Amino acid sequence: MSEAHQNGALRCEFDGQTGVATLTLAMPKVNIINDAFAEGLADGLQWALAQAGLKGIILTSAHRDFCAGADIDKIYRMRDPAAVFEATTQLSRLYRSIELAPVPVVAALNGTALGGGYELALACHRRIAVNDPRLKVGLPEVQLGLLPGGGGTARLPRMIGIQAAAEAILQGQEFRAAKALQAGLIDELVIERDGLLPAAHEWITQHPKPKQPWDQKSFRIPGPQPGSADARNLFMAASAMLRKKTAGVFKAPEAALSAIQEGLSLDFDRALEVEARYFVGLVVGDQSKDMIRTLWFFRQAALKHEGLPTLAAGQHPGITKVAILGAGMMGAGLAYICADAGYEVVLKDVNDDALARGVAHFEAELSKRKRHLDDAGRKQIRARLTPSLELSALAGADLIIEAVFENLELKHRVSQEAEPQLSQTGIWASNTSAIPIGDLAAVSAHADRFIGLHYFSPVEVMPLLEIVRGPDTSDETLARCLDFTRRIGKLPIVVNDGYAFYTTRVFSSYIMEGAQLVAEGHDPVLIEWAARQAGMVVAPLQVFDEVTLTLGLKASSQGRKYLGDAAVDTDAIRLIQTLVEDHQREGKAGGAGFYDYKDGRRTGLWSGLADLVHGEPAQTGVDYLARRLLLVQAVQAVHCLEQGILRNERDGEVGAIFGIGFAPNSGGPFAWLDRQDLRAVVRELDELRERCGVRYTPPAKLREMAENNLKFFPDAP
Amino acid sequence: MPEAMIFDAVRTPRGKGKSSGSLYTVRPVDLLATALRAIRDRNHIDSAEIDDVIAGCVTQTGEQGACIARFAALTAGFDLRTAGVTLNRFCASGLEACNQAAAMVAAGFEDLVIGGGVESMSRVPMGSDGGAIWDPQTQWEVGSVPQGVSADLLATLRGFSRHDVDSFAVESQRKAAAAIERGAFAKSLVPVLDRNGLTMLDHDEFPRADTSVEALAKLKPSFELMGRQFGLDALPKPVYPQVERIEHVHHAGNSSGIVDGAGAILFGSREKGEALGLKPRARIKAVAAIGSEPMLMLDGPIPVTRKILQRAGMQISDIDLFEVNEAFAAVPMAYLQEFNVDPAKLNVNGGAIALGHPLGATGCMLLGTLLDALEEHDKTTGLVTLCIGGGMGVATIIERV
Repeated sequence: MSEAHQNGALRCEFDGQTGVATLTLAMPKVNIINDAFAEGLADGLQWALAQAGLKGIILTSAHRDFCAGADIDKIYRMRDPAAVFEATTQLSRLYRSIELAPVPVVAALNGTALGGGYELALACHRRIAVNDPRLKVGLPEVQLGLLPGGGGTARLPRMIGIQAAAEAILQGQEFRAAKALQAGLIDELVIERDGLLPAAHEWITQHPKPKQPWDQKSFRIPGPQPGSADARNLFMAASAMLRKKTAGVFKAPEAALSAIQEGLSLDFDRALEVEARYFVGLVVGDQSKDMIRTLWFFRQAALKHEGLPTLAAGQHPGITKVAILGAGMMGAGLAYICADAGYEVVLKDVNDDALARGVAHFEAELSKRKRHLDDAGRKQIRARLTPSLELSALAGADLIIEAVFENLELKHRVSQEAEPQLSQTGIWASNTSAIPIGDLAAVSAHADRFIGLHYFSPVEVMPLLEIVRGPDTSDETLARCLDFTRRIGKLPIVVNDGYAFYTTRVFSSYIMEGAQLVAEGHDPVLIEWAARQAGMVVAPLQVFDEVTLTLGLKASSQGRKYLGDAAVDTDAIRLIQTLVEDHQREGKAGGAGFYDYKDGRRTGLWSGLADLVHGEPAQTGVDYLARRLLLVQAVQAVHCLEQGILRNERDGEVGAIFGIGFAPNSGGPFAWLDRQDLRAVVRELDELRERCGVRYTPPAKLREMAENNLKFFPDAP
Repeated sequence: MPEAMIFDAVRTPRGKGKSSGSLYTVRPVDLLATALRAIRDRNHIDSAEIDDVIAGCVTQTGEQGACIARFAALTAGFDLRTAGVTLNRFCASGLEACNQAAAMVAAGFEDLVIGGGVESMSRVPMGSDGGAIWDPQTQWEVGSVPQGVSADLLATLRGFSRHDVDSFAVESQRKAAAAIERGAFAKSLVPVLDRNGLTMLDHDEFPRADTSVEALAKLKPSFELMGRQFGLDALPKPVYPQVERIEHVHHAGNSSGIVDGAGAILFGSREKGEALGLKPRARIKAVAAIGSEPMLMLDGPIPVTRKILQRAGMQISDIDLFEVNEAFAAVPMAYLQEFNVDPAKLNVNGGAIALGHPLGATGCMLLGTLLDALEEHDKTTGLVTLCIGGGMGVATIIERV
């Protein structure tokens, strides 16, 4: 005999013979946690518990994912602490009622369970998952400036111990099936989807009266006990490691660690309350709002290419064979990701050594990143690569990406030579980081099929791709390149043409300001710390060393042509010149730059810097230096928006955070500006222009916004 | 207003603070009772005359919980009317107890009060009482770092090299050895006996007279692993951003020793002393306490010295002898550097590096040691001060009479 029941979130079935109720999450389109979810789940549970002869409950999903988390739109909008506390408490109580049920409840994870979705699984007595390579479980909330508010900070440590749980939560780790099993996040793996429900039934039969470990008498958390010296030391070390990594910039992991530690010494139900209070604090605060907007909404929109030209229905992108010119780290890396994505790839250079190094890099990446494949699998990817010194190897390429040295004449020569090899509808792309596409396309036979594809190093890891439209680049070319972008798994922003485009412009303003501050006599130790305190992922002198000081000199002499002498005849450039030419300090790769290095690792700032500068700055200190470093970037960002290089604020935020490590905690330069009184900012910029130079001149757009009380994101909550 | 006089000072020897130490088998309450009995017996006092026992004890949990001062007084057979109170101002608790005892007398509220302290670090490990200081939330809202990292930060800020701190440590050992050799501590040391009258410990067993700079150089810095590997060096950065890197120089050989011990000092008014036939040895001229920056934590002796001198209307040059607790070598070294004090006036009988630092008792022991040294060298005025966890300083100035 079976019964059925349905509501807005669940389809429910009861099998009178086995006594098992199966509740299938089946919200319209996707299972996310909101009021409808909570109501439906509560209703479904109530229905199941009312069935006579109930022996167990299985929770599963009708969609590809089990449940990927909370309704971010809803959380984004919430600012009232009381309302958030109430909603969080309700959900927590609902989850609590699951684990206190009189019968076993099994989570049959047919797909991904993240955040609140995984917390639902945690509140079940057993977690069985299918061994699917796409399946992920975990608690990634900190990545959006939140923490697991559905009992994750209370349950996970009690289940797998303090250290493992703290790492998983503070880093927002996502676990694939095998790792999840190993780490204890799931209890059992089945090979096929069909095996899920039978495994759940089996467990229910074997465990008629389960209790969560923490609801059992004489429960001991695995590992160091709360209140013990070991636990104290663990939390002290965790606090320190977090501060070392984040410089205290992110509120979410800190609140999560506090919630974990404080909750462990309390009765379980009250631990949930402590978690809820810390969760509320994050939800209603600015940081999560700004991070959610950029890292969730804008990132999703960019991945979906919202607002960008698309291929017509049924139209093929027409890219099968890709050729990369230049087998340096970037070129070789590009070849790797294209081959991995299924493209036929030619990697070309002009001499044997360079080509051999490029192939070696390709193969090293292959063995590093494809350990989960067998030899045949890796061979298959390698087989897609054709290294060559010959122009003829490029014949019929649908896309040629030129990644040679940053020099207009060289790039012209290369494109004139190789462009004729393109297929009939082939596209020419340059990986230039600064040279205007229009200038590069001057020698092209078809400027409508000429585009900039600016990648970031290391290309295997950095997600951003800055696509630059030349003045003649067609929508179709762009759409085809966006399809290519999606297949190689990159996150695109599309910008219009202009020297240094967007990311290079902002990035170079940052590192040059770092050098400028040294030249002005500020303490380099304070400069680097100020940047980290401001949220910048890497401090300016450190990253300048990494891109090399020689590159900085080359870029600036190139910049002279486009920006004029004044932009380039600066104390910063003179300092860089002195370091490179008089002291042979070229950067990290050369073993010495702003920093000293030993065996490739930074050992400290070079003590000789102080001798190269004269005079004391009138004003200094961590706060002042942080303002200089962020403002100089924000000004460039606004200029790019004003000049139409940036099409919109979304691209500005995404490009800044994912391309150049602009303070992720801020949401991006525009969000950062929105959090301030723009009138005060404009006044500050006017003062800085007086004292430090025209690069601080407030853009007209900013002045106008300040006068009219405008925001970049007027609809922000 | 009556002055607070010191009539007598005693201390037990310091036993090694581990399970092989001679005082490991002695309950902490018995340690303190030993010191209390000595004060009563060698001064032939009826304990009913003693108003209160104020004792410092830091790790007030387990055997050191439940107001050990009161139970030590009862254990020592004191009259029921002698009250007891236990206090915790971390490493300065013993001196704090003395200052509060002196203050009660000087205020005229009480006539005869014992200020003392006890700590059995072998039986009740440091830190085992927990506290908010360990909470992540306290880290975010207040900020703290283990004191070893603070000590290395202090050394880095002050430019003390590994050789500098090791040399200081060797000096402390040398002075302690010389003091022990000539019996400088004989007046104050009272042996710890078992209930059968058998001697358990009658001398300080922690000092290592044969220590050398070469031997110390072989020791690994104790706080480097936690500082570099576990990220604790990152914690002071927001407060000291100008420090690029903390140089780790401290280790067990140049930091205070972990030991067991108890001390007691008898404070009272002149009148009370006369009535009981007690001869005052010194007067309390001034006491002071101050808060200082908690991350660095260990330089509290400097501002509290300024404060106490100012309140007493004195200059640093008025002080004949100093006791600055050797929590870590950098602490008294920073003090010397800051005030330009003649090192010959500091810790003349060695310090905690050689003798050990029984947390709750040390302050009281240092006051007694200072008094003994003033008497031995026929000097008049002394200042004792200690650095304190959480960033504080406590000081006392005494004047022989």
